[in-house]
Amino acid sequence: MTPRIIAANLGVRLRSFYRERSAMFFTFAFPVILVLVFGTIFTKPEHLNLDLRVQDNSRSEASARLLGALAAGDAFTVTPVPVDVDATQYAKEHGLNLLLVIPKDFEALQQQRVTGPRAGVPVPLTYVYDPSSTSVDTKIRLLDTIVAAANQQATGSPPAIRLVAASILPERYRFIEFFVPGIIAMAIMTSCLSNVLNMNAELRQKGILRKLATTPITRADWLASSIVYQLILSVVSTVAILLVSYFVFDVRLHIGIWLPLILFVEVIAFVGIGMLLTPFAKEAESASAVANAFLFPMMFLSGTFFPVEMMPAFLQAFAKLLPLYYVNEALRAAMIFVDDAATLRSLGVTAAFAAVVFVAGTFRTRWDEGT
Amino acid sequence: MPVPRQRSAPSVPDTGPAIVVDRLCKRYGAFRAVDDISFTVRSGEVFAFLGPNGAGKSTTAEVIETIRAPTSGTVTVLGMDVTKRKADVVRRIGVLPQNFSSFDRITVRESLQYYARVFGSRADIDALMDLTNLRDKSAALFNTLSGGLKQRLGIAVALVCDPEIVFLDEPTTGLDPHARRQVWEVLKGLKRRGKTVFLTTHYMEEAELLADTVAIISNGRIVAIDSPARLTEKHAEQMRLTLKSIDPAAAGLIRNLGFSPIPMGDDDLCVPVKTPGDVHRILEAIQRSGLALGGLDVRKPNLEEVFLKLTSESPAAGDRDRAA
Repeated sequence: MTPRIIAANLGVRLRSFYRERSAMFFTFAFPVILVLVFGTIFTKPEHLNLDLRVQDNSRSEASARLLGALAAGDAFTVTPVPVDVDATQYAKEHGLNLLLVIPKDFEALQQQRVTGPRAGVPVPLTYVYDPSSTSVDTKIRLLDTIVAAANQQATGSPPAIRLVAASILPERYRFIEFFVPGIIAMAIMTSCLSNVLNMNAELRQKGILRKLATTPITRADWLASSIVYQLILSVVSTVAILLVSYFVFDVRLHIGIWLPLILFVEVIAFVGIGMLLTPFAKEAESASAVANAFLFPMMFLSGTFFPVEMMPAFLQAFAKLLPLYYVNEALRAAMIFVDDAATLRSLGVTAAFAAVVFVAGTFRTRWDEGT
Repeated sequence: MPVPRQRSAPSVPDTGPAIVVDRLCKRYGAFRAVDDISFTVRSGEVFAFLGPNGAGKSTTAEVIETIRAPTSGTVTVLGMDVTKRKADVVRRIGVLPQNFSSFDRITVRESLQYYARVFGSRADIDALMDLTNLRDKSAALFNTLSGGLKQRLGIAVALVCDPEIVFLDEPTTGLDPHARRQVWEVLKGLKRRGKTVFLTTHYMEEAELLADTVAIISNGRIVAIDSPARLTEKHAEQMRLTLKSIDPAAAGLIRNLGFSPIPMGDDDLCVPVKTPGDVHRILEAIQRSGLALGGLDVRKPNLEEVFLKLTSESPAAGDRDRAA
């Protein structure tokens, strides 16, 4: 291995990369755009605010108290509905998924509940809802909570059971915090695999390999250049993803010594896979097909976009055979959970995998007889 | 990687042969691409390997260039066995492979700098661009170059390590006549500088113009090897004297001198002759008889005739591509 030759190869590859805008886009901008799009879709606003229509047929002190309680939390914006209309009809006509109806005798019933012959009988409160609406469950649950609190206040007795939340994570996290490490792993995988396949196909197809075979460049020089090149791209793309997620979504992930280690092992693993797949991608056209056939299942099944736990059991078992799954696990263990033991476990699996494919890939790569 | 340098006697004129090929065979399955060939290339000569497409020219060249491993036989370059000392051989040869290509988005100057760095050579990039007439294209990206410019860059790249032997594998295939002539100018420049040049080509003109020695290869075997002049002398028996717009009566006169004139139409006569003296005798007889003569043409036998004759003698040559 000659540092001078590796430096010369790097110079050529970085220049070529810089001069090809589409490569720049797919390596750097594409993962950042994914973070922006998915971050925007899945990040819940700090103050969840839902529209709640209420038909107050009671117009009493009691109903006003209830309305006050509903509006008190930031959860609902309460909008009144005219009293003289049929609630179901109104909800249908106005496309409402939930309409709360306070009965005319709300106050009277409440009083009777405390005193009088009907003591102890709960006061009914009707809501009209559209079961086909996806967000209505959240509204009903919120409504339940507020009504339960109001009940408890009315009776004045403290709750028998109280739920205390304790997160398994040191800090509060959101979906985006899970998503960012997945995108980092995906971006590196995509870049390593498609660059190795495309580069090898191009060298072979155009006959550059034949020229290189008559120079002092050895296979070790070429592999080392590829790895250093991919490491440079990986670091730049990771920094871009982290900066954008920090400035746009305030994502604060733990960045320590594990991160570069995981990046390094991931690069070795996917450059190795690229070398193993090279014999199946002799032309530039088949190179991207081979790369995609490999990339897409990995992307969707390894927990990049959603947790593996959401998949059926047999797919979960399959996911645990994929290298990207372990890279995702290692990155999340290191950057979110800050769990050294878990990081080491997943990194160990990735490293073992990387060593096997890299050695196998090295033996399969033919440098001589390049045609 | 340490570079073994044998500089005990600095640049002693290398009197030994540049390349020795001994009983070389290269087989692909049952197909014998190169079938038991032997030849020697002297230091400082331009050696042309001439043959139809698929005859085994490039395969032979690629074995010598260390790209391919031979099936059997030995190849020695500058005294070194190519299979055992590949790393040393590649530093002392410069190769223009068939259909030379470089990285698309790299300029002419950067390509040269890249290969110079790879060889650890301090080649004068500007001088190389001057030699190959590429100065005004130094900032052009490779994918914007025409075929002729690409080949000239390939030749410049082959020279970055200041090689003792330059291999040019079909340097002008696919180029237009103008671009071809420009490449030839570059090759003549190499010849003047005393480089040993191993050239493969299927253009007779190219071999005739540039080569000191020509080897004709057909179906993986060498069918003839000699200087272009001796090859034509040996294998093409006759010169052709064409007499234009001549009185038909001249045919009888020439026949009386012992030649066999062939009427060609348009009152032309074609006479196969052996020596310039024959031409002289025929012209003298015509002059004496006072017959009108419109013009004449004496065509020396050329390599093309030798080539077609030799390559069509070997079996299965008919279905191979003939040179353009």
